[in-house]
Amino acid sequence: MSNLNSNNAPKASVVKPHFIFGSLALFMLSIMIIIADSNLLDSYFDNKIIAITHMAVLGWAVMIVFGALYQLVPVVFETSLYSERLAKFTFWLSGFSVLFLTYTFWIGAYTSLLIYASLLMFISLLLFIINIFLSYKNSKLKNISSRFVITAVFWLAITELIGTLIAFNFKYNFLSEIHLHYLKIHATIGLIGWFLLLIIGVSSILIPMFLVSHELNNKKLIYAYYFINSGLVALSINWFFIHQNSINILFWLSIVIGVLFFTSFVYDSYKKRMRKKLDIGMKPTMLAIISIILPIVLSLAITIGFGIEQTLIYRITTLYGFSIIFGFITTLILGQTYKTLPFVIWLDKYSNLVGKTKTPMPRELYSEKIANIHYYIYLFFILSMILGILFSEIWLIKIGSYLLLVVAILYNINVFKMIFHKVKIIEKNE
Amino acid sequence: MNKEEITIFELEVLELLKNVMDPEIEINIVDLGLIYEVTYDGEKNINIEMTFSTPSCPLGETIISSVKEAIKQKHQDFIINIDIVFDPLWSTALVSEEGKKLLGL
Repeated sequence: MSNLNSNNAPKASVVKPHFIFGSLALFMLSIMIIIADSNLLDSYFDNKIIAITHMAVLGWAVMIVFGALYQLVPVVFETSLYSERLAKFTFWLSGFSVLFLTYTFWIGAYTSLLIYASLLMFISLLLFIINIFLSYKNSKLKNISSRFVITAVFWLAITELIGTLIAFNFKYNFLSEIHLHYLKIHATIGLIGWFLLLIIGVSSILIPMFLVSHELNNKKLIYAYYFINSGLVALSINWFFIHQNSINILFWLSIVIGVLFFTSFVYDSYKKRMRKKLDIGMKPTMLAIISIILPIVLSLAITIGFGIEQTLIYRITTLYGFSIIFGFITTLILGQTYKTLPFVIWLDKYSNLVGKTKTPMPRELYSEKIANIHYYIYLFFILSMILGILFSEIWLIKIGSYLLLVVAILYNINVFKMIFHKVKIIEKNE
Repeated sequence: MNKEEITIFELEVLELLKNVMDPEIEINIVDLGLIYEVTYDGEKNINIEMTFSTPSCPLGETIISSVKEAIKQKHQDFIINIDIVFDPLWSTALVSEEGKKLLGL
């Protein structure tokens, strides 16, 4: 018999706290945007925007991603997580660090608290990285999907290192360039190197699995891997050492070609799918993949400039960050939550009962109606914010921020409905 | 048991396995084409050769428990051996006509 991966699945107590923290962070994030809505129209180097960005990226996205990845290590690496105890400790440390770091940015304590907050964040992320690297080391499966994931974790380490250096530089001032220069590298490596590569690695397994599609061309993933990574490495070297802005367009092109290879892979999977109807988990997922076109266009405008005036470039830069964090990553998480958490809970509550009694299906552990409602409200949120930021209309941003609050509340209702699910036995088999 | 009775028994086991659902796809594992072979030796030993829709299926162990439980509901003192194989790899061509209907194809 083959080595079965559900034997390797971590305990639900490792995964669940990440979803609880992440969903509460989404709620906090929506409140922060309501309070600081007008700041979204200022320069992107603004205390409130940086606090919101870190709450979105670390409190919301990274927390959910950590939880999901712990659950998916057996699927992607075909081995168990190296240490569940380390994962639990990392959760508490990173949870505290995210709140501390966000507070530090919010009050603008760059020269006092920031070094402590960033150091704690650095340690917590390092513990996660060690746990994943050691799991990968134990894995016999080294394919393109697992290579994407482990490379993403490497880029997370680089992102975090640069972030911590920036934080220390506020106090000790040892870097040669201004903060905005390093902030650009920090954000680019974080969003493309960490999030994008991780999403591609995990999606390359999960999307065909959920859509039930086979016989896909893995070469497209291999091309995507090399184009994105070589573009990112070259871009980083240029930003750090060569400073030739005119050649950045070549590296941008390399990354975009890589992304297009990935989207082509997803399209093949979609075309060959056996499950024709997309469920509430897959609808946002496919939308997120399509929406990747927006940051591509915006980053082209930022890279070339096109003679656009500086104030508009600031707004386009904010929109670029928004389109990746909310248009792509958050849309994806909102969908994939319904493909991950119900199974974590279902396996925890029902794996000993299957076959003996009739149990609910994982899909029945949450309200599909609520999930559908927050999916459509979220679309209006995205539209409202994009138009608001682009045309500098504060009333659109205000509407958008309240829509996100509604989405966060509905999403939390569903997450906690699953977390507090009590075992239900429908009927005994005859 | 003669040959004919064994065949009837094996078909009966296959019917029992239709009660086992893939929790993600929500189609029973027989119509999904995951069961490659059911053999019965006439002496309370049932051998099942089956697969998963993907080798990294996170629900694999749960599906195996369900298969054993589904058979034990009716044949409590039987020995059930399950062999998971990935050769041939499962493909959508193995889904039954009923399964295709359930998938909306």
